[in-house]
Amino acid sequence: MIFLFIIIPLVLASLMPLLGKISKRFLPDLLANATMLFLLVFSVIYAKPLIAKGGIIQQAFWFGTPLNIRLLVDGFSLFMLFTISLVSLAVTLYSIDYMEHYGAKANYYALLLLMIAGMNGLVLATDLFNIYMFLEVAAVASYALVAFGLGHDELEASFKYLMLSAVASAFILLAITIIFALTGGVGFGAVAAGLKMLNIKYVVGFCSALFLMGFGLKAAIVPFHSWLPDAHPSAPAPISAMLSGVLIKVSGVYAMMRIFMNVFGLTPALTSVLSVLGIVSIFVGALAALGQNDIKRMLAYSSISQIGYVVLGFAIGTPLGILGGLFHLFNHALFKSLLFLNAGAVEQSTGTRSLDKMGGLAKRMPLTAATSAVASLSIAGIPPLNGFWSKLLIIIALVQAKMPVLAVLAVLGSVVTLWYYLVLQRNAFFGRLNETWKAVKEAPFWMSVSTVMLALLCIITGLLFPLIIRSWLQPATDVLSGGVGVALNFLGF
Amino acid sequence: MHLLLMIGLVVFSIVSVLIHDLLKAAISLAAASIFLALIFFRMNAVYAGVFEVSVVAGLITVLFITAIALTRSDENVNESKYHLFIFPLFFAGLVIIDVLVMKNLLGRIPAISSPETGSFGDVLWKGRSFDLIGQIGVIFAGVLAVLALFRPKGKSAQGDKHE
Amino acid sequence: MNNFWILNMGAAALLIGIGIYCLLTMKNLVKLLIGIEIIAKGITLALVASGFAKNNLMLAQSLVISVIVVDVAVIATALAIIISINRHTKSLDVRKLTKLKG
Repeated sequence: MIFLFIIIPLVLASLMPLLGKISKRFLPDLLANATMLFLLVFSVIYAKPLIAKGGIIQQAFWFGTPLNIRLLVDGFSLFMLFTISLVSLAVTLYSIDYMEHYGAKANYYALLLLMIAGMNGLVLATDLFNIYMFLEVAAVASYALVAFGLGHDELEASFKYLMLSAVASAFILLAITIIFALTGGVGFGAVAAGLKMLNIKYVVGFCSALFLMGFGLKAAIVPFHSWLPDAHPSAPAPISAMLSGVLIKVSGVYAMMRIFMNVFGLTPALTSVLSVLGIVSIFVGALAALGQNDIKRMLAYSSISQIGYVVLGFAIGTPLGILGGLFHLFNHALFKSLLFLNAGAVEQSTGTRSLDKMGGLAKRMPLTAATSAVASLSIAGIPPLNGFWSKLLIIIALVQAKMPVLAVLAVLGSVVTLWYYLVLQRNAFFGRLNETWKAVKEAPFWMSVSTVMLALLCIITGLLFPLIIRSWLQPATDVLSGGVGVALNFLGF
Repeated sequence: MHLLLMIGLVVFSIVSVLIHDLLKAAISLAAASIFLALIFFRMNAVYAGVFEVSVVAGLITVLFITAIALTRSDENVNESKYHLFIFPLFFAGLVIIDVLVMKNLLGRIPAISSPETGSFGDVLWKGRSFDLIGQIGVIFAGVLAVLALFRPKGKSAQGDKHE
Repeated sequence: MNNFWILNMGAAALLIGIGIYCLLTMKNLVKLLIGIEIIAKGITLALVASGFAKNNLMLAQSLVISVIVVDVAVIATALAIIISINRHTKSLDVRKLTKLKG
C-alpha cells in the first residue's frame, strides 16, 4: 500500500484545522510526528522488499475496491521517499518547539503535511502530467509556508518566489503540452515509445530546453537561482530546512532526472549543458556564500553550490557518477537541514542572524555548536564523515569519464566550501563570547532531539557508507542508468 | 469565424495588459476568457469550455475584483509611457517569428493518431484519478494558504528583523 | 500536422508572448498576476488544440480542467500575498519590494 504515503498526509492535513480547534498544541504535534515516524518506518520495512526484483507498478486500493491509480515504485522513487520521510521527521520534531511563537500551529502542520503529500505524490508518479500536478501541490503549500511569519521580508520573498516559480511551472506545462501534441499521450511509457518512433530532434531539444529552464528554476541551478537567497532565509527555520533539504531536490532534481534519463534518454548535448550548469552553480554559490553576513543567506548560497555537485554527478552519465550524485543528494538533505535547523536555534536564542554580532556561542549553546560543527565538517568534505565519500565518488567519476579539468574545479569548489564553513563556525560559535549573549539559553528539548538525530545520522552514514550504498543507492542507480528502457517497460500507462 | 474569435481573444488580452485601470483590466481578462471558451466550444471541447467560463471568467475575475477592492494604493503606480511605442514593435516581431516558426518547423511533424477513447466521464474519473487527488490537494493548499495569510495576529509576528 | 492546429498553436504562442511581455515590463503587482493568467490561457489553448488534432479530446479536456484548478489555487494564494503586502507598504508597486538584496 504505497498509496498510504500520499493519502495519510493528505487526510491528516484536511483534518488539522478541525483538530486545531480542539487542542491548540498537543494533538497536532502528536499526530504530525507520529505520522512522520510511521511513514519512515513504513518505507524501510514494507516498501524496501517490494523492489527486491526491480521496479513495480502498484495498484492503489481504497478499503478493498481498486482505484484506477497506479504508482511507480522503483529504486529511485523509494530512495527519495526515504529521504523525504527522514528530513520530514526531523523537521516536525523541531517544529514542536520552534513554531510556538508563530501561532496557528495546526495551520502550519496542515500546510507542511500537504507539502509532504505533494512531494510523495511526485515521486510515485507514472505520468508527466502527474508530476506537474503534485509539483504544484507542493509549490502552493510552500508559497504559504515561506510567507508564514507575515512580516514584510517574508511576504516580499514569498511573492518573488511565487512569480518565478509560476513561470517555471508554465514552462514545464508548455513542454508537456508539446510532448502531448507529438505523441498523443502523457504517460512515461507512451511518451518514451512515441518519441523513439518519431525521431524529431529539434522539437525534442526545444522541450528539453523548456524542461531544463522549468526544473532548473525549481532546483535553483544557476542562472535560475535568484529566488533562493531571498526565500530560504525569510522562511521559518524548519521550512528553510524542508525547502533546502528536500523540496528543491524532489521538484527540481528528481523530476528532471526522471524525465531526462528514463523518458528522453541522456544525449551528449544534455550532458554537456548539465555539466556546465553544474560547475557554474558550484562556483557562483560558493563565491557568493563567502561574502555573506546573514547566516541563513550564506547557507542558501551554499545550497546552490551543493546542488551543482549533485547535477554534475548526474550529468556525467556513468553509473559511478550517478551513484555519487545520488549519495550527495542524500547527504546534502541531511546536513543542510541540520545547518538550517541550527541557524534557527541560534536565531531564536539570540534574535539575530548576523554573523558580525554573534560570537562564542559555543559556551552557552554547546549542543547546537557541536551538531553544527559536525554538519559543517560533513559538508566541507572531511573524512570520515558522509560528505567526503559522496564528493570523492563524484570526483573519481569525473576523472574516469576523462574530464580532469572539471575534477580539479570540483576539488577547488570543495576547498572554498571548507573556507566559508570555517568562517561560519568561527564567527558564530567559537571565539570570544560576546557580552550581549551572556544570558542565552540552549535550544529547547525537541529542537535538540531533532538536531542530534540528524548529526548522528551524518556520522553513521559516513562510517557505514558501503552499507548505505549497497542497500539504498545501488537500486536507484540501476534505475537511472537503465535509461529509456525502464520507461518502455511500463508501456500501457 | 474561428479566426474572428482568435483575434478577439488576442485583442482583449492585449487590452488587459496595457490598460492602466486595474478594474477594467480584470474585466477585459474576463472577456478574453469568454472568447477562449467560445473557441473551445467550436472545437467540440464542451467540458473545457464550461470550466473555462465558470472558473476563469467567473471565479478568477471575482477574486481579482475582490483583491482590487481590498487594496488601496496611495499613489497610482506609474507605468512608463513608452509602452505605447514598445509594445506594437514587440508584438509585430512576435507575430513574424511566430509565423515563420510555425510554417517551417511544425509543418514537418507527422501526425500519429491515437486510439479511440471512451466517454469523458470514463477518462476523467478512471483514467486520470491520480490527477483528481492532486486537484484535491491543491485546493486544500490554496484554502489553507489563504487562511494562514489572513489569520489574526495574536502575538507579534516574526519578521521585520533585519541586520 | 494540419493547418488548423498550426493556427491555434500560433495563437497560443502569441498569448504566451503577451504574458511574458506583461511579466517583464509591468510594475503593478496585480498586473503581474494578469500576465501569469494570460500565459495559462495560452497553454490551455495549446492543450485543447493538440487534443483536437490528435482526436483525443477527452484526455486533453481532463488535463485542461486540472490546469485550471491549479491556476485558481495559485492566483488565490498570490492575491492573498498581495493583499498582505499592501497592508505593509500601502502601495501596489513592485518597485517598493526591494528590501532583500545581495
